[in-house]
Amino acid sequence: MSDRRRFLLPDLGEGLTEAEIVAWHVAAGDEVQLNQVLVEVETEKAVVELPSPYTGTVVELLAAPGDTVAVGAPIVAIDAPGAEPGARDTIPAATAADAAPTEKAGRKPAENVPAENVAVLVGYGPSGVVPSRRRRRRSAHPEQPASAPAPPHNGGRPLAAPPVRFMARQEGVDLGDVVGHGPGGIITRADLAAHLAGAPTPAVAPVPGRAPVAAHLAGTTTQAAAPVPGRETRSPVRGIQKHMAEAMLRSVATAPQACVFLTLDVTSTTDLVERLRRNRHFEGAHVTMLTLVARAVLLALREHAALNSSWDEATVEVVTKHYVNLGIAVAGPHGLVVPNIKDAQDLTLRDLAAALSDLTSRARAARSTTADLSGGTFTITNVGVFGVDAGVPLLNPGEAGILAFGAVQRRPWEHDGGVALRDVVTLSLAFDHRLVDGQAASRFLAEVGEVLTDPTNLIALV
Amino acid sequence: MAIAQARVPTERLAEFVHFSGLVQLISVDGQRTVGCPYWDLVGDVDAAQLRDLYRDMAIVRRLDAEAMALQRQGELALWAPLLGQEAAQVGSARALKPDDFVFPSYREHGVAYCRGVDPVDMLRMWRGTALSGWDPVDYGIATPAIIVGSQALHATGYALGIVLDGRTSAALAYFGDGAPSEGDVAEALGFAASFGVPVVFFCQNNQWAISEPVRLQSHASIAQRGQGYGIPGIRVDGNDVLAVLAATRLALARAYAGQGPTLVEAVTYRMGPHTTSDDPTKYRSRGEEEQWRAKDPLARLRALLHSEGVADDRFEDGVEAAAAEAAAALREGVLALRDPEPAAMFEHVYAGPHALLDEERAAYERYLAGFDEMAEPADPS
Amino acid sequence: MSLGKALNAGLRQAMTRDPKVVLMGEDIGRLGGVFRVTDGLQRDFGDRRVIDTPLAESGVVGTAVGLAVRGYRPVCEIQFDGFVYPAFDQIVSQVAKFRYRNEGRVPMPVTIRVPYGGGIGAVEHHSESPEAYFAHTAGLRVVTPSDAADAHRMIQQAIASDDPVIFFEPKRRYWDKGEVDEDAPLDDLPLHRARVVAEGTDVTIAAYGPMVATSLEAAGIGAEEGTSVEVVDLRSVSPVDFETLEASVRKTGRLVVVHEAPVYCGVGAEIAARISERCFYNLESPVRRVGSFATPYPPSKLEGHYLPDADRILAEVDRCLDQP
Repeated sequence: MSDRRRFLLPDLGEGLTEAEIVAWHVAAGDEVQLNQVLVEVETEKAVVELPSPYTGTVVELLAAPGDTVAVGAPIVAIDAPGAEPGARDTIPAATAADAAPTEKAGRKPAENVPAENVAVLVGYGPSGVVPSRRRRRRSAHPEQPASAPAPPHNGGRPLAAPPVRFMARQEGVDLGDVVGHGPGGIITRADLAAHLAGAPTPAVAPVPGRAPVAAHLAGTTTQAAAPVPGRETRSPVRGIQKHMAEAMLRSVATAPQACVFLTLDVTSTTDLVERLRRNRHFEGAHVTMLTLVARAVLLALREHAALNSSWDEATVEVVTKHYVNLGIAVAGPHGLVVPNIKDAQDLTLRDLAAALSDLTSRARAARSTTADLSGGTFTITNVGVFGVDAGVPLLNPGEAGILAFGAVQRRPWEHDGGVALRDVVTLSLAFDHRLVDGQAASRFLAEVGEVLTDPTNLIALV
Repeated sequence: MAIAQARVPTERLAEFVHFSGLVQLISVDGQRTVGCPYWDLVGDVDAAQLRDLYRDMAIVRRLDAEAMALQRQGELALWAPLLGQEAAQVGSARALKPDDFVFPSYREHGVAYCRGVDPVDMLRMWRGTALSGWDPVDYGIATPAIIVGSQALHATGYALGIVLDGRTSAALAYFGDGAPSEGDVAEALGFAASFGVPVVFFCQNNQWAISEPVRLQSHASIAQRGQGYGIPGIRVDGNDVLAVLAATRLALARAYAGQGPTLVEAVTYRMGPHTTSDDPTKYRSRGEEEQWRAKDPLARLRALLHSEGVADDRFEDGVEAAAAEAAAALREGVLALRDPEPAAMFEHVYAGPHALLDEERAAYERYLAGFDEMAEPADPS
Repeated sequence: MSLGKALNAGLRQAMTRDPKVVLMGEDIGRLGGVFRVTDGLQRDFGDRRVIDTPLAESGVVGTAVGLAVRGYRPVCEIQFDGFVYPAFDQIVSQVAKFRYRNEGRVPMPVTIRVPYGGGIGAVEHHSESPEAYFAHTAGLRVVTPSDAADAHRMIQQAIASDDPVIFFEPKRRYWDKGEVDEDAPLDDLPLHRARVVAEGTDVTIAAYGPMVATSLEAAGIGAEEGTSVEVVDLRSVSPVDFETLEASVRKTGRLVVVHEAPVYCGVGAEIAARISERCFYNLESPVRRVGSFATPYPPSKLEGHYLPDADRILAEVDRCLDQP
């Protein structure tokens, strides 16, 4: 076995990749000398005689006359005691199946090629199996790309990628005022976003010298910490989570947000909800607190259009909408989504209830359409279903206001000059301070509150 | 082995140049010819030296055949065989002095052998482990030229350098019958004649430039081409090693004597393919090959040696053994040649430092270090 | 002294210093060169060191290769840029690759002088800028002086280099005068080092050869308009001194590359790609290039439109500064 050598069909000319066996000049069992002609093969270009690389005994002819053999496939096995294996024979003897010659038409030479140097006709041709995937890289990357930016000598000027510079210019930010946490002090998108949001550090406190969590958005390369197996789990950010993250960041980065709160006695509204549920006109329509809050918001937006506007960066204009696409934040199976009801201002209370329940049930089934999810002008988010009193919501990007309402709690409250247990809820209104100031926001919220405190205002305002 | 230079007085050189026939000293059937004045140039060549010439040709033929076999066995990427041209190469190379300098094309393995180059080193460039194989200065022969005809200018320039140095030696450029069609050869003839430099332009007219017959290159003989430049041409039977030796001695003598360039056309035949990638059956006939086989250079010298009783079976066996030994040494040496390391790719591009190259080398080394397996890179095709 | 005379003086010093230096080319001996750059040299050094050659560019360079193998240090002249092409094979296949092919065993210290560039009202083939072909060829060094002092210094350094050097001489500047200290040590300024020839803070212009003077003119106009322009004379086109250039770009944040050669696939393309990669976070605007159009060199009556001038340079500078 160790003396057995195989002669692999070598490179025979220029660019050819296979040859046909024409005639053998030896048979199994024959003694052969070095350079003795073993076989004639025909290529595209010529009939060529192949001389034996070894002195020894022919063990087996591995291809028959008429067979087409790919370059690099073994054609004969020779027992050659003491012979050094040639360049064309460095793999152990394989089964006859490996050496099976190809059909003349259609078969790619690479499929019949052993995993080492394959000869082709000019020079040596492609080496080895045509790889179907890249070679495996080491898990740690010792390579510092030569093309990495060389921030150390920045000549005193801030370092930032062109899109970040553009954004800074749009925002009127001098990059010299921004602290960069990218490698070498590069100012990343997140850095700029944080600067714009007024926070001293970005949403996730970074380790100095490392990019914050949203590094992929900032477009910088982050040196990954060496993972400690078992102590942490890594999940790729995709789909809705990715979208939500981007939306939240965009929201924070573009709009200066402030928030006002109002805690109310809404017992009259909760009673109304009960009565409406039993009312025959609302049969089948699922009336909830949310329905009444939505109605109150729609009414208040009539008088406070600023809460239903948006800031156009490109044209530097305030766009006031004359319709309300009312968005509702829903916890869907894959994460938070905010579908909206188009032209909600035109809906009757009953239709509003139906629309809300349809919207939320579809969202919970992850069946919101793209149309559902775009074009919103104002958003309501019910954080009460999670059991909390209040929250500071983040604006849906492109909107001027978002109202959160918490759980309705039985609380001691002033009532008719005394203290009684009443249904109390806290409303939180976050707003874009470019479009709405504190006074306007407060007035809006007060009006919403007025409706919810005394729903007979609905009749007055309808 | 060195053959002593024939001493022919300078005044006589012109008469040889004026001999307008084909220079032949040994007929096809191995007889000494009568009446050719070139005999005077090889009067010193005795039986021992004839046997040496034969041995040289036999070993060169055997080495060439071994290289062909190695290519067919996948050990060389390519080989350009010289089969049939042994006399043209050995006869001319044995006329050279050690301080003469040769600028070959890519087929002059026999010349390199005579200059003392190790045959294993000759095969490095054909195996692909290097672009050259030896130090030109050590052996007085440049790296083979692949751009056809380019070396004719190099030889001319080198010869100009000999003049500037005030030395008595010569440069010799080898090329085939296709090369004179190239502009560089024409320019070399022009420069050499204009400056009167000691250069010999040695054309092996082996009748074929790949598939193109010599008649496609020129309707006049190549030896005549020098006339336009005032360069004398000698047309010699390239399969007659003695005639080639004589013609080359003459050309070199003219060069040493300050008589300027000479163009030698050695008429021979490329018995094998252009290279191992070529198939001559596509463009020439077996009949033509047989005709030239009858004029084989080794056969005719063997016939002469036998007819003059200066070579016996013992001699032939000795030659065969020497040839087999040389072939075995070549095989062993070639199989042992190691592939160069990737870093070698970046060496010798410049003499001085080069920032971009340093950067690229370092980056590539880092890149390679990033892989778990060090497989060969995939072929770009 | 003029740039042409500075070259003459530099050649003279190189030939005096090293007896192996041999000049060769058409009309360089008796005539002293069509631009008189080799004037008087054959008279003083003899016709074995200053050699008039037959009219054959490939022959000039190929013969130089043989001379170099023999141990000489040939300095070839190609009479005009447009005539370098017949020698292209000997330059690219032989001169550039000889050392690499022979693994460092055989020297190839050949200098090839090529007057280049336009703006002299010439007929066809006398105004080319072919430097990119040679910059793209590994094994060659490609340099080009912009003024007399550099011409004097750089021709000597090129000849002294053991590597082949293609030495492009800006012919429209042959008569420009400048201060030349013939005794200044050559290593004051290495051959391949770029040089800041005008300091500024708003934008960097990188130029070489004939366009350096034009760029300085543009910088002057820019200063009057309130733009502070830094001009870097690259001096060496292969290799390019990116260290100096990058330092400038990090300072100004903007780069305009200027050459006479067509913009498309010119040397500026390599510089722009490289600077974009290396100075990505420093750049206020993309790297811009000023060069000629993707046409053959036009009739001389149109060359004013073809070649960059101060206005065209400043137009690109403006685009850099106006980058939103």
